[in-house]
Amino acid sequence: MLDQILCVDDDPITLMLCKKVIIKSSFSNEIITSQNGEEALSYFNTIKHINNKNKPIPQPQLIFLDLNMPVMGGWEFLDHFNSQEFAEFSTIKVIVLSSTIDPEDLEKSKQYPMVVDFLSKPISQSMLEYLKNKLK
Amino acid sequence: MKSKTNQVIIIYILISLFVAIVSHKILLQYISNEKLPFYTFTKDILFIFFTGIIFKLILSKNDNRNIATFEKIKNSNTEIKESNEKYDIVAKATSDTIWDWKIQDDNFSWNKGIENVFGYKPGEVGNNSTWWFNKIHPEDSIKMSIKLYSFIEQKTEKWQDQYRFKCSDNSYKYVLDRGFLLKDENGKAIRMIGAIQDITKQKEEEQRLKLLETVIIQSKDSIIITEADSIDAKIPNIIYVNPAFSIMSGYESDEIIGRSPDLFNSPNSDVNELEKLLKAIKNKEECLIETISYTKNKDEYWVRFSMIPIFNSDNELSHWISIQRDITEEKKQEKEKEQLIRELTQNNKDLKQFSYITSHNLRAPLSNLTGLLNLIEDIPIENQELKEILSGFNKSTHLLNDTINDLVKVIIIKDNPSIKKEAVLIKEIFENVFSQLNFQIELYRPIIKLDFEKVSIININKAYLESILLNLLTNSIKYKSENRKLKITMTTDQIDDTVVLTFKDNGIGIDLVRNKDKVFGLYQRFHNYPDSKGLGLYLVKSQVETMDGTIDIESEVNKGTTFTLTFKNIQ
Repeated sequence: MLDQILCVDDDPITLMLCKKVIIKSSFSNEIITSQNGEEALSYFNTIKHINNKNKPIPQPQLIFLDLNMPVMGGWEFLDHFNSQEFAEFSTIKVIVLSSTIDPEDLEKSKQYPMVVDFLSKPISQSMLEYLKNKLK
Repeated sequence: MKSKTNQVIIIYILISLFVAIVSHKILLQYISNEKLPFYTFTKDILFIFFTGIIFKLILSKNDNRNIATFEKIKNSNTEIKESNEKYDIVAKATSDTIWDWKIQDDNFSWNKGIENVFGYKPGEVGNNSTWWFNKIHPEDSIKMSIKLYSFIEQKTEKWQDQYRFKCSDNSYKYVLDRGFLLKDENGKAIRMIGAIQDITKQKEEEQRLKLLETVIIQSKDSIIITEADSIDAKIPNIIYVNPAFSIMSGYESDEIIGRSPDLFNSPNSDVNELEKLLKAIKNKEECLIETISYTKNKDEYWVRFSMIPIFNSDNELSHWISIQRDITEEKKQEKEKEQLIRELTQNNKDLKQFSYITSHNLRAPLSNLTGLLNLIEDIPIENQELKEILSGFNKSTHLLNDTINDLVKVIIIKDNPSIKKEAVLIKEIFENVFSQLNFQIELYRPIIKLDFEKVSIININKAYLESILLNLLTNSIKYKSENRKLKITMTTDQIDDTVVLTFKDNGIGIDLVRNKDKVFGLYQRFHNYPDSKGLGLYLVKSQVETMDGTIDIESEVNKGTTFTLTFKNIQ
């Protein structure tokens, strides 16, 4: 079981679903949500800020990332997250969780080293079982 | 000669009589009768001597004259001989056929040319002018005789004519006949001599050239001929333009000859193209350019302009020919076409994007619904009505999900014209499909006959073939006949380098007479089934065609349906 997981999605129902399924599958202890890429980035900035004061706080081990979001979408988030600014989070893995069917999106996701999988919504218990095995 | 003799004798007699009379008169006056016999005798002696001397004088003078005449005749004989020899040589040397016509007697003679050139044996040649006239081509003879007689009557100065002359083998040769007249002292034409030249080759060449010339004259393309050398690095000067050029450019031939085609350049001419042309001219190379030109009225037109160097037999550049075509309309259409392609490409891109976004936006809430329904499954529901409602909700959601998934598949196929193929075991695919439909198969227990003996491995996209078989099998089950047990037969066969997959059932069939064109169409439904989406066969056809295959259907209502799928099996 993971300690903390971050779900980034603008759809509250999706987030609700994520929470319920993750709890049900005992996939993670704690679930944090952000409504878009910018919110997620500011969450990581907060972690960085607090860490600087030598007060270590738990950070997510895995991110479920949607692509189409207002303010800042998934791709832009990945561009920032992949930059030097967030180098200290380089161990965090990202799962793209989207409804897209555009094959170009799948290709594009392969350019980011932290993206370990590209999965189609909805999140399900079988999907989480699969991920558990994959991330072992 | 005879008259000369008579002349001499007459002169002699006259002189003799004169002397005789004078002597007689003198004797009568001075001499007495007694001495008469003596004087008569003396007179006779004197008379004989005197006339003898006279006679001698006359004869010797005549002799001299005769000698001179003889010399003259001798000389002229030699001249005639020489001239005859020369004539023979010339006659032999020229290929001309010489004829000689004594007009009054209508006596006509020919030299050897009549045999050598026209093939007439000496016995075949007639000796009057009628024979000659008869050999002239009927179309030429009237015109020719008018000119000839007007010459003989000396209404015209010279005579030469071209006509067709019949050979012994009945073919005709084009000839050039030139003649002159011999006249008597009264100026009357008595004889005519002519020389016939065989100009068949020239005439044929002339006709060939005329024929070739029509190409240039009648051509709709402009043709220019220019000098070989250019002056001041310009296009060489024009020496000929054809009528099409005048029509295209507005310049008449005499306005433009001697000038350089440079003057057609407009400010909008393509500088690079012109440079290309000038470079080719410098290097004496063929060149083709497309540029904007000016007409005489400074109207612009697009022209496709070629310059071809022409070399003579010594491999020296003799001139250039340039062929030009007005391609304004072509260019306009090309531009329109490009514009259309740009617009269509953009439209297509937009539509593709639209379909991706739409499907994304549809799928996002739908996936939530599916996810939530999955959660409900584990929650026990006591209320029976709620349970029913949720069950309906569940069914509809899954149907919607299937439809959208099929649509998504179609979008992806249409966007991916080429897909990966691999060698797959048909049996394996079939087993996969079977396991997916396990529930229905267990329910209806159809008779399934498979024969993959002939071809067991096929080079194909695995996912597509699976989807195709799944669709066909689902259809067979869905549209089975209620009156008989469902029977499905599937076989493979190899025909040349293609693999043929046959899928046959004994279901309710489709009325192809009514629906032939629509069977594989989008959203076509032929049976009143609640869960039919009208997508299956459209998807199948799309997948088959994406793999360069074809699909055919044969069906009879209440008998069954057969699908024939054909794929190229090139590895």
